[in-house]
Amino acid sequence: MAIPRDMNAPATALTDVPPARDHANPRSAIAAFLTPALLIYAAFTALPVARTFFNSVHLVVPNRPDEWVGFTHYAELWTDKIFWKAVHNTLTWAVAAPILEVTIATLLALCLYAKVPFARFLRVAWFTPVLMSYVVVGILWMWILNYDWGALNEILRGIGLGGLAQPWLGHPATALPSLIGVTTWMWTGFNMVVILAAMSSLPSEVLEAAELDNCGWFAKLWFVILPLIRPTLLNLVILSFIGKMKIFDLVWVTTRGNPLWSTETVSTYVYKRAFQWSEFDLGYPSTIAVVWFVIVLAGVLLLTAIFRQRDRIEY
Amino acid sequence: MAFASDRTAVASRPRISTAALRSAALILFIALYTAFAAGPFVWVASMSLRTTTEINADHYAFPWPMHFEKFAVAWTESNYDTYFFNSAAVVLAAVAILTVVGGMAAHCFARYRFPLKGVVYFLIFSTIIFPPQVTVIGLFQLMVDYGLYNSRIGLVLVYVAIQLPITIYILEAFFARIPGDLFDAARIDGYSEWAIFWKISLPVALPAISTTIILNTILLWNEFLYAVVLITDDDKRTLPLGVLRFMGDQLEDVGMIATGLMIAIVPVVLIYVFFSERLIQGMTAGAVK
Repeated sequence: MAIPRDMNAPATALTDVPPARDHANPRSAIAAFLTPALLIYAAFTALPVARTFFNSVHLVVPNRPDEWVGFTHYAELWTDKIFWKAVHNTLTWAVAAPILEVTIATLLALCLYAKVPFARFLRVAWFTPVLMSYVVVGILWMWILNYDWGALNEILRGIGLGGLAQPWLGHPATALPSLIGVTTWMWTGFNMVVILAAMSSLPSEVLEAAELDNCGWFAKLWFVILPLIRPTLLNLVILSFIGKMKIFDLVWVTTRGNPLWSTETVSTYVYKRAFQWSEFDLGYPSTIAVVWFVIVLAGVLLLTAIFRQRDRIEY
Repeated sequence: MAFASDRTAVASRPRISTAALRSAALILFIALYTAFAAGPFVWVASMSLRTTTEINADHYAFPWPMHFEKFAVAWTESNYDTYFFNSAAVVLAAVAILTVVGGMAAHCFARYRFPLKGVVYFLIFSTIIFPPQVTVIGLFQLMVDYGLYNSRIGLVLVYVAIQLPITIYILEAFFARIPGDLFDAARIDGYSEWAIFWKISLPVALPAISTTIILNTILLWNEFLYAVVLITDDDKRTLPLGVLRFMGDQLEDVGMIATGLMIAIVPVVLIYVFFSERLIQGMTAGAVK
């Protein structure tokens, strides 16, 4: 990004209105380059979103004209206990997971930053989980968390803590924490790679200056390294937050929201109401989606505002 | 014993001992985390080579003898050939279209000035934070209207749409760094705008293009939500749907399910082995700035 864009552009073109015949910005070429992307965007992103918003104030039943119902869906949502349970679960996930992931990832990045042997191998091994589909990850962890022969219970029994062994995904108190553990397993390596990249690009003069000042390793970490990579950490928190607010696949593969709605997320609830419960009304689930969209947007804006710094946050 | 010898060491040479203790803790932490991160794959890989009877006898034994024939069985008898082919076809088509369409749009954003450029870019890019539910219900209805519901072509177009923003974002950043002199020279040589894109932007940006190709391939290979909503026929299912369907049917056949999981994992791991740097670049492109 060091090289300024459009070095060839004349200074007068800085106003966004091109002159009548602008050889550097030919209208026809611009239209030709942009049209395919815009068409796909309109047909498969913009229109569907508009349709979902339209649904949210209609009763949408197959083979009948859509019926305007105003904001009754929204009113119904307000008293929908399962929805609020799902919101609670999803928010728990979206708050706990970023903290866990970024904290552990920072510790791991520090290990590799301290030049331990086999750093390259370790980086590859830790990053791998994020490459798997949630379907694969979900099935794999259902086995690991299996009561009879799952790895977790086997390890607990092996170290004499057999009393703690339990059906992790089958108990309302442990199901959601277990799934949060799975996403942490999956995403920590990814966060670690990003943090390591940020640490590696720190100016060495600053770190050397800290060492000259006889700064201890913890002081160096706390007062020098962490403040310098703060923008990266905050980006990662927001990215992870967005990811968890959307989470669907993992829950769908493992628990489908069970037991007792303890792992129900907003995404799985929308899917159930739209495609599983045979209610045939797409209006109400659309309302959930719209409300959730607004909440996610508000959450991202709130986080961005809290974290606001001189560095602009990108996501 | 250990404590006693430690204590004497602390008394005689405290600095070295704390340093040794610290590095021992560090190694322990790294070893534990590595086992945690990689262990599950080693386990599923070993189970994929064992029969369910062997697995039921001991879930954690070494896979010997190795039953490679299980892959052939899954491939021919459990429809994995169809799922694999569907996944490969859908992903390859979507990635090819994405590269050209996304590349054209990114070139346009990076090279030209036009009215509302910022607004259009923001509109496309802001969809990255949309929860998929807000598109998926409307999309389901529209795909039925378009006649593209339960069709692989429809799935390809949807995949292009969901990966378009990040593709444009990565490519635009790279295209914008190509020196403008290159384009001026090409114009003076009489290149058309299309030729400039095709013969200069794309070749020069090959590193960024390969990053987006690898990133999109992996993300779409793993995609589940849109596929499960838009595809119903078994012979059109992609691998994630096929794996899940197989698990639903054969809940107890752990060995065969593990083989199916490996069929889904192996292509990703191969791409990762050959292109790990590019892939990491692509995956982290949105976070590092």
